[in-house]
Amino acid sequence: MEISHRRLNRVDVVTISGRIDAATAAGVKQQIESLFAEGRYRIVLDLVRLEYISSPGLRVLIEARKRAREWKITDLEGGDIRIANLPPKIKEVFDLTGFTNLFELYGDTVEAVGSF
Amino acid sequence: MESITLTADLEALAKISAFITEAAESCGLDERATWQVQLAVDEAATNIIQHAYDSDAPGDMTLGWRCEGNQFIVTIRDHGRSFDPENVPTPDLQSPLEERQVGGLGIYLITRLMDEVRFDFHPQQGNVLTMTKYIDSGQRNDIVLIPVEGRVDAVTAPQLNRLVHEQISTGARYVLLDLSDVAFLSSSGLRTLLLIRKELMMLGGELRLAAMQPQVHEVFTLTGFTQVFAIHATADEARSAFGQGRA
Repeated sequence: MEISHRRLNRVDVVTISGRIDAATAAGVKQQIESLFAEGRYRIVLDLVRLEYISSPGLRVLIEARKRAREWKITDLEGGDIRIANLPPKIKEVFDLTGFTNLFELYGDTVEAVGSF
Repeated sequence: MESITLTADLEALAKISAFITEAAESCGLDERATWQVQLAVDEAATNIIQHAYDSDAPGDMTLGWRCEGNQFIVTIRDHGRSFDPENVPTPDLQSPLEERQVGGLGIYLITRLMDEVRFDFHPQQGNVLTMTKYIDSGQRNDIVLIPVEGRVDAVTAPQLNRLVHEQISTGARYVLLDLSDVAFLSSSGLRTLLLIRKELMMLGGELRLAAMQPQVHEVFTLTGFTQVFAIHATADEARSAFGQGRA
Protein backbone atom coordinates (compact mmCIF):
# COMPACT_ATOMS: atom_id res chain seq x y z
CA MET A 1 0.00 0.00 0.00
CA GLU A 2 1.10 3.56 -0.67
CA ILE A 3 -0.42 6.78 0.66
CA SER A 4 0.17 10.24 -0.71
CA HIS A 5 -1.29 13.45 0.58
CA ARG A 6 -2.02 16.83 -0.97
CA ARG A 7 -3.09 19.84 1.05
CA LEU A 8 -5.52 22.26 -0.56
CA ASN A 9 -6.96 25.35 1.01
CA ARG A 10 -9.92 23.85 2.80
CA VAL A 11 -9.62 20.19 1.95
CA ASP A 12 -6.96 17.47 2.18
CA VAL A 13 -6.74 14.87 -0.60
CA VAL A 14 -5.38 11.50 0.44
CA THR A 15 -4.58 9.05 -2.35
CA ILE A 16 -4.36 5.41 -1.34
CA SER A 17 -2.88 2.88 -3.80
CA GLY A 18 -2.48 -0.88 -3.63
CA ARG A 19 -4.00 -3.05 -0.92
CA ILE A 20 -5.84 -2.11 2.26
CA ASP A 21 -5.93 -5.31 4.30
CA ALA A 22 -5.41 -6.16 7.97
CA ALA A 23 -1.68 -5.51 7.60
CA THR A 24 -1.97 -2.06 6.01
CA ALA A 25 -5.24 -0.69 7.44
CA ALA A 26 -3.37 0.74 10.43
CA GLY A 27 -1.32 2.92 8.07
CA VAL A 28 -4.48 4.43 6.58
CA LYS A 29 -5.87 5.04 10.04
CA GLN A 30 -2.66 6.74 11.12
CA GLN A 31 -2.62 9.06 8.09
CA ILE A 32 -6.22 10.15 8.65
CA GLU A 33 -5.75 10.61 12.39
CA SER A 34 -2.69 12.77 11.85
CA LEU A 35 -4.91 15.09 9.76
CA PHE A 36 -7.53 15.15 12.51
CA ALA A 37 -4.76 16.03 14.98
CA GLU A 38 -3.97 19.11 12.87
CA GLY A 39 -7.60 20.12 12.91
CA ARG A 40 -8.15 19.03 9.31
CA TYR A 41 -11.49 17.24 9.06
CA ARG A 42 -12.43 17.78 5.41
CA ILE A 43 -10.86 14.90 3.56
CA VAL A 44 -11.23 13.46 0.08
CA LEU A 45 -10.00 9.91 -0.39
CA ASP A 46 -8.85 9.37 -3.96
CA LEU A 47 -9.07 5.61 -4.48
CA VAL A 48 -8.32 5.53 -8.20
CA ARG A 49 -5.35 3.19 -7.72
CA LEU A 50 -6.80 1.12 -4.89
CA GLU A 51 -6.65 -2.52 -5.94
CA TYR A 52 -8.02 -4.26 -2.91
CA ILE A 53 -9.87 -3.73 0.35
CA SER A 54 -10.92 -6.22 3.02
CA SER A 55 -13.02 -5.75 6.13
CA PRO A 56 -10.32 -4.21 8.37
CA GLY A 57 -9.97 -1.47 5.75
CA LEU A 58 -13.73 -0.93 5.67
CA ARG A 59 -13.70 -0.62 9.44
CA VAL A 60 -11.07 2.13 9.29
CA LEU A 61 -13.06 4.06 6.68
CA ILE A 62 -16.31 3.97 8.61
CA GLU A 63 -14.71 4.95 11.91
CA ALA A 64 -12.83 7.78 10.24
CA ARG A 65 -15.99 9.16 8.67
CA LYS A 66 -17.83 9.02 11.99
CA ARG A 67 -15.01 10.99 13.62
CA ALA A 68 -14.79 13.57 10.81
CA ARG A 69 -18.51 14.30 10.92
CA GLU A 70 -18.40 15.00 14.64
CA TRP A 71 -16.46 18.17 13.81
CA LYS A 72 -18.89 20.96 12.96
CA ILE A 73 -18.56 24.65 12.08
CA THR A 74 -22.28 25.21 11.78
CA ASP A 75 -25.19 22.81 11.59
CA LEU A 76 -24.73 22.65 7.83
CA GLU A 77 -20.99 22.83 7.53
CA GLY A 78 -18.34 20.62 9.00
CA GLY A 79 -16.01 17.73 8.57
CA ASP A 80 -16.50 14.72 6.33
CA ILE A 81 -14.69 12.05 4.44
CA ARG A 82 -15.77 11.78 0.82
CA ILE A 83 -14.61 9.30 -1.76
CA ALA A 84 -13.51 9.92 -5.35
CA ASN A 85 -12.78 7.44 -8.15
CA LEU A 86 -14.01 4.25 -6.50
CA PRO A 87 -12.81 1.40 -8.80
CA PRO A 88 -15.45 -1.16 -9.88
CA LYS A 89 -14.02 -4.05 -7.83
CA ILE A 90 -13.93 -1.94 -4.68
CA LYS A 91 -17.43 -0.69 -5.46
CA GLU A 92 -18.52 -4.33 -5.46
CA VAL A 93 -17.16 -4.79 -1.92
CA PHE A 94 -18.99 -1.59 -0.91
CA ASP A 95 -22.20 -2.93 -2.44
CA LEU A 96 -21.89 -6.34 -0.75
CA THR A 97 -21.32 -4.84 2.67
CA GLY A 98 -23.89 -2.05 2.48
CA PHE A 99 -21.17 0.61 2.40
CA THR A 100 -22.35 2.31 -0.78
CA ASN A 101 -25.01 4.24 1.14
CA LEU A 102 -22.61 5.17 3.92
CA PHE A 103 -20.34 7.35 1.80
CA GLU A 104 -20.75 10.14 -0.69
CA LEU A 105 -19.11 8.92 -3.87
CA TYR A 106 -17.78 11.26 -6.56
CA GLY A 107 -16.60 10.63 -10.10
CA ASP A 108 -13.35 12.56 -9.69
CA THR A 109 -11.37 14.47 -7.09
CA VAL A 110 -12.29 17.91 -8.45
CA GLU A 111 -15.94 17.14 -7.94
CA ALA A 112 -15.31 15.66 -4.51
CA VAL A 113 -13.21 18.64 -3.36
CA GLY A 114 -15.81 21.04 -4.77
CA SER A 115 -18.57 19.34 -2.79
CA PHE A 116 -17.18 20.78 0.47
CA MET B 1 -3.66 -30.85 -3.02
CA GLU B 2 -0.99 -28.15 -2.88
CA SER B 3 -0.43 -26.25 0.33
CA ILE B 4 1.70 -23.77 2.22
CA THR B 5 2.13 -23.38 5.96
CA LEU B 6 2.87 -19.96 7.37
CA THR B 7 3.14 -18.27 10.72
CA ALA B 8 -0.21 -16.63 11.36
CA ASP B 9 0.90 -13.01 11.40
CA LEU B 10 -0.06 -10.02 9.29
CA GLU B 11 2.97 -10.40 7.05
CA ALA B 12 1.49 -13.69 5.82
CA LEU B 13 -1.44 -11.93 4.12
CA ALA B 14 0.43 -10.72 1.05
CA LYS B 15 2.03 -14.17 0.55
CA ILE B 16 -1.31 -15.91 0.93
CA SER B 17 -2.86 -13.57 -1.58
CA ALA B 18 -0.14 -14.28 -4.16
CA PHE B 19 -0.33 -18.04 -3.54
CA ILE B 20 -4.10 -18.30 -3.89
CA THR B 21 -4.26 -15.99 -6.91
CA GLU B 22 -1.83 -18.20 -8.81
CA ALA B 23 -3.74 -21.30 -7.72
CA ALA B 24 -7.12 -19.93 -8.78
CA GLU B 25 -5.80 -18.89 -12.18
CA SER B 26 -4.18 -22.29 -12.76
CA CYS B 27 -7.54 -23.88 -11.93
CA GLY B 28 -9.23 -21.85 -14.67
CA LEU B 29 -11.11 -19.24 -12.63
CA ASP B 30 -11.69 -16.00 -14.49
CA GLU B 31 -10.40 -12.67 -13.22
CA ARG B 32 -13.50 -11.80 -11.23
CA ALA B 33 -13.82 -15.22 -9.55
CA THR B 34 -10.10 -15.15 -8.75
CA TRP B 35 -10.51 -11.81 -7.05
CA GLN B 36 -13.52 -13.10 -5.08
CA VAL B 37 -11.54 -16.12 -3.86
CA GLN B 38 -8.62 -13.86 -2.99
CA LEU B 39 -10.84 -11.67 -0.82
CA ALA B 40 -12.56 -14.62 0.89
CA VAL B 41 -9.23 -16.29 1.71
CA ASP B 42 -7.80 -13.00 2.96
CA GLU B 43 -10.79 -12.48 5.28
CA ALA B 44 -10.46 -16.04 6.63
CA ALA B 45 -6.71 -15.67 7.21
CA THR B 46 -7.26 -12.29 8.90
CA ASN B 47 -9.72 -13.93 11.32
CA ILE B 48 -7.17 -16.60 12.22
CA ILE B 49 -4.38 -14.06 12.68
CA GLN B 50 -6.51 -11.77 14.84
CA HIS B 51 -8.62 -14.24 16.80
CA ALA B 52 -7.25 -17.79 16.78
CA TYR B 53 -3.92 -17.06 18.42
CA ASP B 54 -2.59 -14.55 20.92
CA SER B 55 -0.76 -11.89 18.94
CA ASP B 56 2.45 -12.36 20.94
CA ALA B 57 2.48 -16.11 20.27
CA PRO B 58 1.17 -16.72 16.76
CA GLY B 59 0.85 -20.36 15.65
CA ASP B 60 0.71 -21.83 12.18
CA MET B 61 -1.92 -21.82 9.51
CA THR B 62 -1.96 -24.09 6.49
CA LEU B 63 -3.61 -23.10 3.25
CA GLY B 64 -4.34 -25.80 0.67
CA TRP B 65 -6.22 -25.98 -2.60
CA ARG B 66 -7.31 -28.42 -5.29
CA CYS B 67 -9.35 -28.41 -8.49
CA GLU B 68 -12.07 -31.02 -8.63
CA GLY B 69 -14.28 -31.11 -11.68
CA ASN B 70 -15.77 -27.65 -11.94
CA GLN B 71 -14.88 -26.75 -8.35
CA PHE B 72 -11.97 -24.87 -6.84
CA ILE B 73 -11.66 -25.99 -3.23
CA VAL B 74 -9.63 -24.13 -0.61
CA THR B 75 -8.97 -25.30 2.93
CA ILE B 76 -7.44 -23.28 5.76
CA ARG B 77 -6.36 -25.03 8.96
CA ASP B 78 -5.15 -23.62 12.24
CA HIS B 79 -4.53 -24.98 15.71
CA GLY B 80 -5.73 -21.97 17.63
CA ARG B 81 -8.86 -21.41 19.67
CA SER B 82 -11.79 -23.38 18.32
CA PHE B 83 -13.92 -21.25 16.05
CA ASP B 84 -17.69 -21.35 16.14
CA PRO B 85 -19.39 -19.26 13.42
CA GLU B 86 -22.48 -19.12 15.68
CA ASN B 87 -20.58 -16.72 17.93
CA VAL B 88 -19.95 -14.21 15.17
CA PRO B 89 -22.35 -11.26 15.22
CA THR B 90 -24.77 -10.89 12.31
CA PRO B 91 -23.37 -8.12 10.14
CA ASP B 92 -25.10 -4.77 10.18
CA LEU B 93 -25.63 -3.79 6.54
CA GLN B 94 -28.41 -1.26 7.00
CA SER B 95 -27.96 1.15 9.90
CA PRO B 96 -27.07 4.77 9.25
CA LEU B 97 -23.43 5.77 9.68
CA GLU B 98 -23.65 6.87 13.29
CA GLU B 99 -25.11 3.55 14.43
CA ARG B 100 -23.36 1.23 12.01
CA GLN B 101 -21.56 -1.71 13.64
CA VAL B 102 -18.69 -3.26 11.74
CA GLY B 103 -18.41 -6.71 13.35
CA GLY B 104 -19.02 -9.91 11.41
CA LEU B 105 -18.25 -8.44 7.98
CA GLY B 106 -15.38 -10.84 7.29
CA ILE B 107 -17.42 -14.03 7.70
CA TYR B 108 -20.32 -12.44 5.87
CA LEU B 109 -18.09 -11.59 2.89
CA ILE B 110 -16.71 -15.15 2.83
CA THR B 111 -20.21 -16.62 2.58
CA ARG B 112 -21.20 -14.14 -0.13
CA LEU B 113 -18.08 -14.57 -2.24
CA MET B 114 -17.82 -18.37 -2.14
CA ASP B 115 -20.41 -20.93 -3.26
CA GLU B 116 -19.95 -23.35 -0.34
CA VAL B 117 -18.44 -22.65 3.08
CA ARG B 118 -17.98 -25.13 5.93
CA PHE B 119 -16.38 -24.72 9.35
CA ASP B 120 -15.20 -27.87 11.16
CA PHE B 121 -13.34 -28.44 14.36
CA HIS B 122 -11.31 -31.61 14.89
CA PRO B 123 -9.50 -32.33 18.18
CA GLN B 124 -6.31 -33.21 16.24
CA GLN B 125 -6.51 -31.12 13.10
CA GLY B 126 -7.87 -28.03 14.77
CA ASN B 127 -10.10 -25.60 12.88
CA VAL B 128 -10.70 -26.49 9.26
CA LEU B 129 -12.43 -24.03 6.98
CA THR B 130 -13.39 -25.45 3.59
CA MET B 131 -14.50 -23.03 0.88
CA THR B 132 -15.59 -23.93 -2.63
CA LYS B 133 -15.92 -21.77 -5.70
CA TYR B 134 -17.71 -23.14 -8.75
CA ILE B 135 -15.86 -22.64 -11.98
CA ASP B 136 -18.00 -21.11 -14.67
CA SER B 137 -17.02 -22.94 -17.83
CA GLY B 138 -18.73 -20.32 -19.95
CA GLN B 139 -20.63 -23.16 -21.62
CA ARG B 140 -24.24 -22.63 -22.62
CA ASN B 141 -26.67 -24.70 -20.59
CA ASP B 142 -29.41 -24.74 -23.22
CA ILE B 143 -27.74 -27.03 -25.74
CA VAL B 144 -29.95 -29.84 -27.06
CA LEU B 145 -28.00 -32.96 -27.99
CA ILE B 146 -29.68 -35.26 -30.48
CA PRO B 147 -28.02 -38.62 -31.17
CA VAL B 148 -28.57 -39.80 -34.75
CA GLU B 149 -28.31 -43.47 -35.71
CA GLY B 150 -28.02 -45.63 -38.82
CA ARG B 151 -28.55 -44.26 -42.32
CA VAL B 152 -29.59 -40.72 -43.12
CA ASP B 153 -31.07 -40.94 -46.62
CA ALA B 154 -34.19 -39.98 -48.57
CA VAL B 155 -36.26 -42.35 -46.44
CA THR B 156 -34.97 -41.41 -42.99
CA ALA B 157 -34.05 -37.74 -43.46
CA PRO B 158 -37.69 -36.60 -42.96
CA GLN B 159 -37.69 -38.42 -39.61
CA LEU B 160 -34.55 -36.57 -38.57
CA ASN B 161 -36.14 -33.33 -39.74
CA ARG B 162 -39.24 -34.05 -37.66
CA LEU B 163 -37.18 -34.93 -34.61
CA VAL B 164 -35.23 -31.69 -34.76
CA HIS B 165 -38.39 -29.64 -35.37
CA GLU B 166 -40.05 -31.08 -32.30
CA GLN B 167 -37.10 -29.66 -30.35
CA ILE B 168 -37.19 -26.31 -32.15
CA SER B 169 -40.92 -25.98 -31.49
CA THR B 170 -40.29 -26.40 -27.75
CA GLY B 171 -37.66 -23.67 -27.79
CA ALA B 172 -34.40 -25.42 -28.69
CA ARG B 173 -32.03 -23.04 -30.50
CA TYR B 174 -28.61 -24.60 -29.89
CA VAL B 175 -28.76 -28.02 -31.48
CA LEU B 176 -25.94 -30.54 -31.44
CA LEU B 177 -26.25 -33.62 -33.62
CA ASP B 178 -24.09 -36.51 -32.48
CA LEU B 179 -23.39 -38.45 -35.69
CA SER B 180 -21.11 -41.10 -34.19
CA ASP B 181 -23.60 -43.88 -35.01
CA VAL B 182 -24.38 -42.70 -38.52
CA ALA B 183 -22.89 -45.07 -41.07
CA PHE B 184 -24.22 -43.44 -44.21
CA LEU B 185 -25.43 -39.99 -45.20
CA SER B 186 -26.91 -39.26 -48.63
CA SER B 187 -27.46 -35.99 -50.48
CA SER B 188 -31.03 -35.94 -49.11
CA GLY B 189 -29.53 -36.13 -45.66
CA LEU B 190 -27.21 -33.24 -46.47
CA ARG B 191 -30.09 -31.15 -47.77
CA THR B 192 -32.06 -31.77 -44.59
CA LEU B 193 -29.10 -30.70 -42.47
CA LEU B 194 -28.72 -27.54 -44.57
CA LEU B 195 -32.37 -26.64 -44.01
CA ILE B 196 -32.12 -27.26 -40.28
CA ARG B 197 -28.98 -25.14 -40.12
CA LYS B 198 -30.62 -22.29 -42.01
CA GLU B 199 -33.70 -22.37 -39.85
CA LEU B 200 -31.73 -22.35 -36.60
CA MET B 201 -29.59 -19.46 -37.86
CA MET B 202 -32.70 -17.43 -38.65
CA LEU B 203 -33.93 -18.07 -35.11
CA GLY B 204 -30.62 -16.83 -33.72
CA GLY B 205 -29.47 -20.37 -32.87
CA GLU B 206 -26.74 -22.70 -34.04
CA LEU B 207 -26.43 -26.18 -35.48
CA ARG B 208 -23.26 -28.12 -34.76
CA LEU B 209 -22.31 -31.60 -35.93
CA ALA B 210 -20.05 -33.89 -33.95
CA ALA B 211 -18.22 -37.21 -34.12
CA MET B 212 -18.67 -38.13 -37.79
CA GLN B 213 -17.37 -41.45 -39.03
CA PRO B 214 -14.72 -41.06 -41.80
CA GLN B 215 -17.00 -42.16 -44.64
CA VAL B 216 -19.64 -39.62 -43.59
CA HIS B 217 -17.05 -36.90 -43.22
CA GLU B 218 -15.94 -37.65 -46.76
CA VAL B 219 -19.40 -36.72 -48.06
CA PHE B 220 -18.95 -33.28 -46.51
CA THR B 221 -15.42 -32.94 -47.90
CA LEU B 222 -16.44 -33.95 -51.44
CA THR B 223 -19.36 -31.54 -51.54
CA GLY B 224 -17.42 -28.68 -49.96
CA PHE B 225 -19.86 -28.57 -47.03
CA THR B 226 -17.07 -28.77 -44.47
CA GLN B 227 -16.88 -25.01 -45.07
CA VAL B 228 -20.58 -24.57 -44.40
CA PHE B 229 -21.22 -26.65 -41.30
CA ALA B 230 -19.63 -26.38 -37.88
CA ILE B 231 -18.08 -29.83 -37.58
CA HIS B 232 -16.43 -31.04 -34.40
CA ALA B 233 -14.42 -34.14 -33.57
CA THR B 234 -16.31 -34.77 -30.34
CA ALA B 235 -19.61 -33.75 -28.77
CA ASP B 236 -17.70 -32.14 -25.88
CA GLU B 237 -15.73 -29.97 -28.25
CA ALA B 238 -18.97 -28.95 -29.96
CA ARG B 239 -20.60 -28.10 -26.63
CA SER B 240 -17.90 -25.66 -25.67
CA ALA B 241 -18.02 -24.04 -29.12
CA PHE B 242 -21.68 -22.97 -28.86
CA GLY B 243 -22.02 -19.24 -28.45
CA GLN B 244 -18.39 -18.70 -29.50
CA GLY B 245 -19.19 -17.82 -33.12
CA ARG B 246 -18.33 -19.53 -36.43
CA ALA B 247 -21.31 -21.87 -36.48
